[in-house]
Amino acid sequence: MKPEKARLVLAGLKEAGVNFAAGVPDAQFIQVYRMVAADPDIRYVGTANEAEAAGVAMGAWFGGMRPALIIATSGLLVATYHLARINLLHEVPLLIVIPYRGDLGDPRWMGLYQKTTEPALKAMDIPYRVVTRSADIARTIKDCQESARAWLRCAAVLLTEEALW
Amino acid sequence: MVTRFALLKELASIIPDDILIVASIGNNSGFWGQIKDREANLLHVTMGMCSATALGLALALPDRRVIALDADGNLTLNLGVLGTVANESPKNLTIIVMDNGNYLGSHKDEPGMPTATGGKMNLEGVGRQCGIASSSTVQDVESFRDKVQSALSRPGPHLIDARIEALDSDRPARAKRIADPRQNKYQFANYIEKATGVQIIGGGLGNFG
Repeated sequence: MKPEKARLVLAGLKEAGVNFAAGVPDAQFIQVYRMVAADPDIRYVGTANEAEAAGVAMGAWFGGMRPALIIATSGLLVATYHLARINLLHEVPLLIVIPYRGDLGDPRWMGLYQKTTEPALKAMDIPYRVVTRSADIARTIKDCQESARAWLRCAAVLLTEEALW
Repeated sequence: MVTRFALLKELASIIPDDILIVASIGNNSGFWGQIKDREANLLHVTMGMCSATALGLALALPDRRVIALDADGNLTLNLGVLGTVANESPKNLTIIVMDNGNYLGSHKDEPGMPTATGGKMNLEGVGRQCGIASSSTVQDVESFRDKVQSALSRPGPHLIDARIEALDSDRPARAKRIADPRQNKYQFANYIEKATGVQIIGGGLGNFG
């Protein structure tokens, strides 16, 4: 991943007013994690798994923060039970940012996540946008954050190979 | 050994009004909601998420003391959170684990199945080795009161493993309806908004630029 693409993700988070983030690092997105963790305007909490991160983010939201959950496609599966509760029972808005492995154009074999990511989000009734152009990264993150806050629902941004690398 | 209900009644009698409580699902939320119905309660936080949610809340509001009312089955589902708590080290967080060593028994007349703490696991030791120096075990009302009061007067994080009876033999008759997760969300968030002046609920004010 090129640093300038990671900077676009960070810029989108900041434009969206994100001041708190939780997650587990993903190899393909590590530059974003490093930038978020180093950013003075964002409190980053690294957790032991993505379900824990979802809980931390929900607590931060109740404390008045604007949290983002930054997780891998595999991490979405780990967090599914907690995100289902958060989105469907508590109706708490978490912005979820996911580097989308397994989409068309991804040269690595990540077919598992092509089969699970969007169906999992649909099953949890979490609206999402798939971003395929780097020029759309920041705007989409901001739009999803605005909608999540307005609807009191989680919203996910899936950033594909074409957009990121 | 003591019951969950006895310890929750004691907790209700000693905590200041401004303490934020994050309670796990099941009898922790059910009993606490009946004993101490208050705006500063965040209830029904599910398996593996209670201490994590309390951690996020404590980090977001460093000037407010936060208590996680967790349970052994809940906590062990996501035990890694103790390492995260130790590393983040929020001074305002106390985790109380209602540890009955048992799954499901709290809703039955006989114990369900043992949790790890019903076997060899010792949560005080786990907490300490995760890096939470202030980790302790209590088994009666008096030591519970002392540990909670100590935790609320000293910088945390703190972990109090409250070993309780497997069954809630003194469970109270349901006297009132407990707010459901959505109703409780508005209640709690509105309380935090009033206390901090920060808008939590809402948005969507046309800022789509």
